[in-house]
Amino acid sequence: MKEKIRRFIFQELIFVAEPEKFSDDDNLLDAGLDSMGIMRLIMFIEEQFGVTLPDVEIDPDNVHSINALEQWILRHKA
Amino acid sequence: MMNLITGFLEQCRKLPDKIAFCEENRSLSYAEFRQQVEQLASFLQHNRKTSQPIAILLERGIDAAIAIYAVLMSGTSYLPLDVKNPLFRLQLIIADAQPEFVIGKDVRPDWLNDSVGWVEQSEPPQNGESLMGFGYHLYPSYENQSESIAAILYTSGSTGTPKGVALSHAAMLNFSNWAAQTFKLNPQDKMASLAPFHFDLSVFDLFSGLSSGASVYFIPAKLTLSPSRLTAWLSENQISCWYTVPSLLSFLAFKGALDITPLPFLKKLLFAGEVFPTPHLIRLAQLLPNVDLYNLYGPTETNVCCYWQVDRTKLQPEQAIPIGVSACGAKLKIAENDELLVACANNFSGYWQQGQLLPRDSSEPYRTGDKVSLNNNGEYCYHGRLDRMLKCSGYRVEPAEIETVLNQIAGVETCAVIGMHDASSGQRPAAALVLKNADSLAEIVKTAREKLPAYMMPCKFKVLAALPVLSNGKTDTLALHPLFDD
Repeated sequence: MKEKIRRFIFQELIFVAEPEKFSDDDNLLDAGLDSMGIMRLIMFIEEQFGVTLPDVEIDPDNVHSINALEQWILRHKA
Repeated sequence: MMNLITGFLEQCRKLPDKIAFCEENRSLSYAEFRQQVEQLASFLQHNRKTSQPIAILLERGIDAAIAIYAVLMSGTSYLPLDVKNPLFRLQLIIADAQPEFVIGKDVRPDWLNDSVGWVEQSEPPQNGESLMGFGYHLYPSYENQSESIAAILYTSGSTGTPKGVALSHAAMLNFSNWAAQTFKLNPQDKMASLAPFHFDLSVFDLFSGLSSGASVYFIPAKLTLSPSRLTAWLSENQISCWYTVPSLLSFLAFKGALDITPLPFLKKLLFAGEVFPTPHLIRLAQLLPNVDLYNLYGPTETNVCCYWQVDRTKLQPEQAIPIGVSACGAKLKIAENDELLVACANNFSGYWQQGQLLPRDSSEPYRTGDKVSLNNNGEYCYHGRLDRMLKCSGYRVEPAEIETVLNQIAGVETCAVIGMHDASSGQRPAAALVLKNADSLAEIVKTAREKLPAYMMPCKFKVLAALPVLSNGKTDTLALHPLFDD
C-alpha cells in the first residue's frame, strides 16, 4: 500500500529529486503537497483501496507523511 | 475627487463601530482600523523623500491591510510582496521596483539592499498613543490623485524576469465600484478573504468590501488543507460573500462536508483565476442551491473585464462554462487571430520597470493573449493561450522566467520549460534540461527549489542530450510534450 501511495505522490503530485531518499516520516506538506494535491490523493486512495475517508478527518495531522496516511487508511479499512 | 479610499472614509463616518476586519484572534472596527492606518500613514508621509512605491512584506491579514491603506493615504502606491517567495525572487522584485521603504515585521532582514528603508510595523499602540512615538499631522494628500498609481502587482514576465503591473486609483476604483454594485455589497455582508494581496482578487475584499461597509474575515491559512473545517468556519462566521479560486471550491465540493453543513448565510460566491472544471462546478451548484455563483475573468492588466452568472440549467459536464459578457464597462473585441482585446477603464497604466512607470498607450485596447470565441448566446468562451504562458494553481507563470532561473544554475547547459496538463492545478511546469555533468540533477533541482516559488517549480525534470529544435533553430516545445507522458 505504501509503495502505491508513494508512487502516486511522487509521479503525480510533487517532485522531489531523489524520492528513494524521502522517508515515510518526511513532511509531504513542506515538500509541496497542497490542497489540490490532497484532494487528488484522497480520491486516488479511496478508489485504489476501497475505503471511504471521512471529510471531517481531512487534516494536516492525517496527511502530513506517508506513515500518517497509512495509519489513517488502516483505521478505516477494518 | 474620488479615489480608492474615499469610500472607506465615508463608511468610517457612517459606521464607525462596525467591524471592518476580523482575523483569528483580533478584530478592528472601521474607526479603530482608520486610526491605525492614519498613524502609519503620517509616519510614512513625514519620512518619505520620494514618491517611489512602498513595498509590503507581511502575511495576508489585518496588519497588511493597515499597511496598504496607510501607503495609499500617505499618497503613494503599494507593492505587496509574497512572503512565501524565495529570497532570490524577492530581491529581484525589490531591485526592479526600487521602493523607498519595505514595511515588515521585526528587525530589518539582512538581505535587504541598503538603499531601501525598513519600516517595522510594531504592535498596536495603547490608549491612542501614536505609533512609534510620532505624532505628525496627516496631510490630506490622498485627495485628487485618480490617475496616479495605487498598486503595483508583480507577476511572471515573458522576458524571464518578474514584471510589475501598475494600476491607477481610477482603474482600481472602476473595478471596485462595479463589483460593489453588481454583487450588491452592503453593511450586512460578511466577506471571507483568502486571496494574498499580490493577487488582484484581493482588490475586491480590500476596496469593494470596505467602501460598502461590509466586514472582511480573513480565512486562517491552515483551513485550506481541512475542507470540512473551512466549511464549518464559513458557517460559524456567517459568511455571506466570498471571492476565491475554483481549485479550492472543487476541494470544498468534493470533501467539504457541505451535505451535512449547509451554509444558509452564503449568498454570493465568485471565482476567477483558472478554469472551473464543469463537473466540479455542477457538484458545487447542487450542494449550494441557493447561492448565486459567478465566473469572473480578466488578467491582472484589466482586472475583471468579463463575467458570467452561472446559469444552473445550462451546465453540461462535458462543456466548459463561458466567461460571459462585458464587465466594468469593458469594450471587448475579438482580433483576427481570435485574441480577446479589452478597452476598459480598469486597464493598467503600464508596466513598472526599473523603478518607474513605462506608460502604455491608453488609446489602444489591451491584448490579452487569450484565445476566445462567442457562443450563440453572445457570451465569450475561453480557449487557452496564444503564447506560452501557463496557469499553475491560479498563478500566472511564464516558462521563460523558469528557464532564466534554471539557466543561471552552474550545471545547466540549456533548458526548455513546457506546461503539462494537470487535473487539479490546471497546468504544471515541466523542464527538459541539457546538463554539463550527467550526474548533477539532484543538486540542480535543489538549487532550483531555493530560487523558484513552489508554484513555479517544475513537477518533472527530464535530462536530454540535446533539445529538439525546429528548422528555424528555435526549441521545438511541441516535441517535448510526449517526453513527459509516462
